[in-house]
Amino acid sequence: MNNNSKNMSWQLLTLVILVALGAGLYVATKKIDYTWNWNRVPQYFIYHHEVEHRVAADGRVESIATSGKKSVVTYVNEFDETSMFTVDTEHLNVDEGEDLFAGDRVGSSFSWMAGPLLKGLWTTLWISAVSSVFGILIGLITGLCRIAKNPTLRSLSIIYIEIIRGTPLLVQIFIAYFFIGTVFNIDRLVAGVAALSVFAGAYVAEIIRAGIQSIPRGQMEAARSLGMNSAQAMIYIILPQAFKRTLPPLAGQFISLIKDSSLLSIIAITELSKSGREVITSTFATFEIWFVVALLYLIMTLSLSQVIAWVERRLAVSD
Amino acid sequence: MIKTVDLKKSFVGRGQTVYAVDGITAHIQTGEVVVIIGPSGSGKSTYLRCLNGLETLSSGHIYVDGVDLAAKTTDLNKVRREVGMVFQQFNLFPHKTVLENLVLAQQVVRKRSRSEAEAKGRELLKKVGIAEKEKEYPNRLSGGQQQRVAIARALAMDPKVMLFDEPTSALDPEMVGEVLEVMKQLAREGMTMVVVTHEMGFAREVADRVLFMDQGKLVEEGTPEHFFTEPKEERAKAFLKQVL
Repeated sequence: MNNNSKNMSWQLLTLVILVALGAGLYVATKKIDYTWNWNRVPQYFIYHHEVEHRVAADGRVESIATSGKKSVVTYVNEFDETSMFTVDTEHLNVDEGEDLFAGDRVGSSFSWMAGPLLKGLWTTLWISAVSSVFGILIGLITGLCRIAKNPTLRSLSIIYIEIIRGTPLLVQIFIAYFFIGTVFNIDRLVAGVAALSVFAGAYVAEIIRAGIQSIPRGQMEAARSLGMNSAQAMIYIILPQAFKRTLPPLAGQFISLIKDSSLLSIIAITELSKSGREVITSTFATFEIWFVVALLYLIMTLSLSQVIAWVERRLAVSD
Repeated sequence: MIKTVDLKKSFVGRGQTVYAVDGITAHIQTGEVVVIIGPSGSGKSTYLRCLNGLETLSSGHIYVDGVDLAAKTTDLNKVRREVGMVFQQFNLFPHKTVLENLVLAQQVVRKRSRSEAEAKGRELLKKVGIAEKEKEYPNRLSGGQQQRVAIARALAMDPKVMLFDEPTSALDPEMVGEVLEVMKQLAREGMTMVVVTHEMGFAREVADRVLFMDQGKLVEEGTPEHFFTEPKEERAKAFLKQVL
């Protein structure tokens, strides 16, 4: 057997195992008498929202101008005030010249609205993105302090890193929200993003320190011997090389950050996992929603690792 | 050009103080090519690294063009741009192309425009004989080519002195010649050079003066004819017996 067909048969085995696992899951759910309602899931991503237009006071329909799917109803009430309603022609309830009483329905208009799952997804995305940016900034500064000559900077950064790495993120979120949030009267979103950034910053700091220290000393000496000061040497020579080496661990850190953002549900930030829970309370489609939520997290993390892999390939040209 | 007065440099390790450079007084004139030789661990490289402030001095003075490196008020960055250095391990910037290696410091330190720096860079690459490699990354070049780029990079700053720290020691034997050729050409053009090397042929042919160091001390100095034919000191004689 040559290498290629050997590889093929192993891949076949992988496939068989995956199919067997799937079949096992299917049989297991059959046994517990659970009704799958996948058709109820899509409406929690996006739904057709109906807005009813009602008149506030008695009056008369002055005119109706129909253009395609939309109609504009001009209405004059008993105080001679004119108002306009734009409704879908299909859902128009009145005729021209008709008398209406307060609370009567002129018609409805429909629009597509984002459901809770989509909103939660968006919240998770922007919270993770903002926290990553601040995490990098905090991590970069702390990482540089960690290897600075000044003993105070060094000690402070070590204390920060050890405290953050030695306590659970959940506890940090509670402290950020209940203690710091109360003392400084800050919003829950700000407290949540701050907690995540500070948490990520400690790990990023260690990654960046390791990256900088992995660059041979000769690089710094060469830069200094050309007359660059230490900041210039850092910016132009050391950090670009360190960045390239730290990309894989940084990617891991940011993937963790996306997943860790689910802990913010504990302080009532409606990100993806909390949205999922809210949808479950109104649908009882527990299994479906959690599978969907898991899939959405997976899509986010896999896309991020693809992007990072692409950047890594771009930077590999000088190897 | 460079004056060193009773220079000492010590390292502290495991409770003992070791003097790598132990009281050296030597002067290097403008346009002079000085070759420093000596056994391993004799402090040659440390002495050279002191000359552009890569090592802090323990005591004594170094005056580069009249500026005292030991003085607290001296801006070392200003001194270093006048003193080019070539390392044993080349130390090219691997994330930059060959041309960018030459351009970067010119722009950042000398504040030259991009086009001016590139013109200067290309001219120097032509001079060291690798103009066609300007778009390559350093890792794609042979050791000899990398070292010639490193020399060009130092020259791009228009230094008044060039320091060479064992520039051929990390090279395959067949590449030593091309680097020495570039250095000989520089010497002919009147560049002030301080070279730490094990290439005795180069010392004999190019040097105006040879300094022999052992255990951090300057043991003997003189012209190459004097040093290689009739050295006075026993240690120098013993060393020459080993290497020649």
